[in-house]
Amino acid sequence: MAMIEVEQLTRRYRDRVAIDALTFTIAQGEIVGFLGPNGAGKSTTMKIITGFMPATSGRVKVGGFDVFEQPLQAKQQVGYLPETPPLYPELTVREYLKFVCELKAVKQASVEIDRVTRVTGLSPDLDRLCGTLSKGYKQRVGIAQALLGDPALLILDEPTEGLDPRQRKDVLDLVKSLAGQHTVVLSTHILAEVKAICERVLIIHRGTIVANDTMAALTQGRETGLEDTFIRLTAD
Amino acid sequence: MRNTLAIARKELRVYLTTPWAWVVFTAMGFISSMFFLDLLLKFRDVHEAVRKSHGGWANAPEDYQAFRSLTEGVVVSLWSTVLIVTLFVAPFLSMRLFAEERRQKTFELLMTTPTRPIEIVLGKYLGAVAIICCTLGVTIIFPVMLTSLGPHSLEWSTVLLGYGALLLWGATNMAIGMFVSSLTESQMVAALVSFTIAIAWMLIRFVAPHADEPARSVLSYLSFDVQLQNMLKGVLDLKPIVFFSSVIALFVLLTHRSIEANRWT
Repeated sequence: MAMIEVEQLTRRYRDRVAIDALTFTIAQGEIVGFLGPNGAGKSTTMKIITGFMPATSGRVKVGGFDVFEQPLQAKQQVGYLPETPPLYPELTVREYLKFVCELKAVKQASVEIDRVTRVTGLSPDLDRLCGTLSKGYKQRVGIAQALLGDPALLILDEPTEGLDPRQRKDVLDLVKSLAGQHTVVLSTHILAEVKAICERVLIIHRGTIVANDTMAALTQGRETGLEDTFIRLTAD
Repeated sequence: MRNTLAIARKELRVYLTTPWAWVVFTAMGFISSMFFLDLLLKFRDVHEAVRKSHGGWANAPEDYQAFRSLTEGVVVSLWSTVLIVTLFVAPFLSMRLFAEERRQKTFELLMTTPTRPIEIVLGKYLGAVAIICCTLGVTIIFPVMLTSLGPHSLEWSTVLLGYGALLLWGATNMAIGMFVSSLTESQMVAALVSFTIAIAWMLIRFVAPHADEPARSVLSYLSFDVQLQNMLKGVLDLKPIVFFSSVIALFVLLTHRSIEANRWT
């Protein structure tokens, strides 16, 4: 079953076309790398899929629900980590996660908070204020927030940004462990990360899809295959 | 509804952990206590002057008459002053409502969880009303202090109706401030614009007498202190309640439109 169906999705900002007639599907349980140079339209696409931003034209379905016509049902399926972790500096980690649980109508919030903080390694920091956390920890709280309620689809916009190598590995292992039950869309600049965990790769350049294939097909068995393909496809 | 309450609770918690709210509470307490003291002293002087004069209250000058009772002389006058103070402090409370969510990018969180935009707006507004009630709550201490002079020193129905007018006015200011805050990312811009709107509204009273009919009637109808006059004096009047509730509903709806429209740009 398709988790995400995107059809002819276009978004214009006044005269500028951010994404142009994107069409792709992502199946349930897949881990997909969403790549592209800066300004290619990755974040715009993610913002539309999560229902934050409407599209100029086209259709998006998440878990069978149209994002524009049945936004609440569609949003229930999604855990989203935006580019900047959306934290309230005045709240403690616990208060913040509790608030997100309420928004997502998560039952047994404290059990769920326990679960996601254990997974993200935040258990000892539950009573720290979000505003006093380091960048890496903020990112972890952002991921924990996305995991709350165990959503079927996780959309992570540069989840390893600002993390040290150790934390990067932890996050990637975490994402990898979600394979099977969860669908994950991961946007990043770091091709090595994509190679390590993604089964399929979408490359977007200037608002259009230039590659949509399995990792094996894109690397063609070579060590630097993905880099070569990426550079070739996104060359001007 | 559950989301609305969750957002309102979060809003209140964030307010009470920021220094802003405490600064505003202190300012409100300090400024209104100054006016309260001044009114008390004036009350005492007037009573002394009347006692010394021949003829008592019947021959006392017109501007002394208001000071005949403690309720009218002190509390009603105090409420009129707090009305103006509210106009100055409310923008500092309302400025962060949406501007801060945008700046911190937490707006994305609210909009991507299964929450309706109207629930977000109502939750924010409820939190905003709660914090302005806390701010105005500081001033209820003054009439309470006056009861130490005796259980019948005040007409509580007048005091409380006037206080209701204050809350209504505070809630209106927060609705306007919330709308302005939804238009910008900058808290300072939000505070300045809401403040300008409130000042312009206050100035209508001074412009009204100089205008020709029918503009004069329209302007004096729109003037907030004319609207609140009766309630402040302890007369239950439905007109201001309907008037200010309509203004609040209008600005809540405008905020809803504004955050919907923002997603398109």
